Amino acid sequence: MALLTVKNLKKNYDGSPVIRGIDFSINKGTCVALLGPNGAGKTTTLRMLSGLIRSNGGSISFEGLDYQTDIRYHIGYLPQHPVFHSWMSGKEFLVYVARLANLDKKTAASRADELLARVGIADAKNKRIGKYSGGMKQRLGIAQAMIHQPKLLMLDEPVSALDPIGRREVLTLMEELKQETTLLFSTHILNDAEEVSDELLMMHNGEIVESGPMEKVREKHRVDKINVVLQEGFIPDEDLITALPSVIRTEVARGVHHIFVTDTKQARDELLQLIQAERWPLERFEVGRASLEDLFMKVVDS
Amino acid sequence: MQFLTVFKREMLESGRNFKWIWVPLVFILLGLSDPLSTYYLPQIIESVGGLPEGASFEIPTPPPHDVLMMSLAQFSQLGVLVIALMSMGLIAGERKSGVAELVLVKPVKYSTYVSAKWAATSVLVLVSLFAGLLASWYYVNLLFGNISFSNLLATWFFYGLWLLFVISISVFMNSLFKVPGLVGFMTIVLVILTSIMTTVLDHILDWSPAKLSPYIRMMLSEGTISGDLWATALITIGISIGLLAAAIYTFRTKEMA
Repeated sequence: MALLTVKNLKKNYDGSPVIRGIDFSINKGTCVALLGPNGAGKTTTLRMLSGLIRSNGGSISFEGLDYQTDIRYHIGYLPQHPVFHSWMSGKEFLVYVARLANLDKKTAASRADELLARVGIADAKNKRIGKYSGGMKQRLGIAQAMIHQPKLLMLDEPVSALDPIGRREVLTLMEELKQETTLLFSTHILNDAEEVSDELLMMHNGEIVESGPMEKVREKHRVDKINVVLQEGFIPDEDLITALPSVIRTEVARGVHHIFVTDTKQARDELLQLIQAERWPLERFEVGRASLEDLFMKVVDS
Repeated sequence: MQFLTVFKREMLESGRNFKWIWVPLVFILLGLSDPLSTYYLPQIIESVGGLPEGASFEIPTPPPHDVLMMSLAQFSQLGVLVIALMSMGLIAGERKSGVAELVLVKPVKYSTYVSAKWAATSVLVLVSLFAGLLASWYYVNLLFGNISFSNLLATWFFYGLWLLFVISISVFMNSLFKVPGLVGFMTIVLVILTSIMTTVLDHILDWSPAKLSPYIRMMLSEGTISGDLWATALITIGISIGLLAAAIYTFRTKEMA
């Protein structure tokens, strides 16, 4: 069941289209990565979904909500660069936004404490936000987005600006969060998308160029190719490889033999037999798994 | 509910950044300066060398309500400047910094958000004005003569409406512009324009908000509240509500963050 359905969503800035009519839907309980290079329209899309900016056409519909209901009750949003009232303490700020989301006083306070512990900044809850580090602010940002238990949590580039440790922490946190809510996050880093998400929406120039479950997208863009790495210094007889019936051609780059084939299953057997018969010192053998990076580059280049 | 949440947060902020100290203090100082300087004018002249010999100069003691009006004139100049400065970042500042992005994705009504901020500023300004008037009134009574407390309250009420009008202009400007400095500038420009228009078109604009001051002077000297003052008060309230509604409307139609 789709939690969120977007149809033909458009946005223009100063007359020129930024989002060119995109369609997608997000299923309940999934974790979706909105992937794309800088300037693809990821932030604009998220801001339209969150109600911060208006679309120039198209529709956004939320499951089980009529037109009248304020969509903001059901979404949590973390902007790319969250800014807080720096004179408030972390706890004060959380209670404030909880009250804005119509939680009563008691629930607001207990929810704030719970989330502060959850995101790991309970020790600093009475410190002024102005004194928080970047990673702490990001975690406070996630806490404020989660405060009213939204059905859809949207995070705009949640890890892009963090150092490796902060990045790891936030990714772990997201891994936990996706157990309890539907998660949509944007990123331009492929690894992050691959690591946490189940589904992929790839944007480029204001259009969705690829979407679907991670595995299916990979499958679809699977290149019939086998990568073989042999022991360093060993130079095999290329002719033996190209002589195999299923092999089209080979390329060698940085010690990796990229072998393009007609049928991966058949080629795998033939190659393995050949390597065994010739007693080549095999180090790595990889069958046709195009990385997202290849796909990403392909999409961006085209 | 949400109104109180925003209102309280605004109050807390005004407390933490000492607005609750310096704004009343500025009004008190403004209120004190005229009664004291007018009363001690002969001594002040004496202490800076006095008048040249042979010059005879009678300095008449002004009636008490004139001195109170001098204080109001201070509030109209420096007081308005202070209000414009302290309220110029009210919403524009939050939008510029990006806090608005976090606040406005929560299900808070724009009308609540804007009006709560307006109310918080108004409370601070009205309290400060009262403190300033009280200071002025105390010394006027001490040094010049009696003005009744009920007259002081009436002055506070009617003059407070003028300041609420200024705050409403500022809130409206806050919804139009994202840069606090521009908001402050435009607020002052609009207040000055209102005053100039009222002077130039005196014969038409009988009930312009800028006429509150002259009618208050009449009220103090004659002791009765004229129909003109009531009418002007009502119109000022009307325009302020209109400005607030316009601010909320702009806020809704505009992309805020």
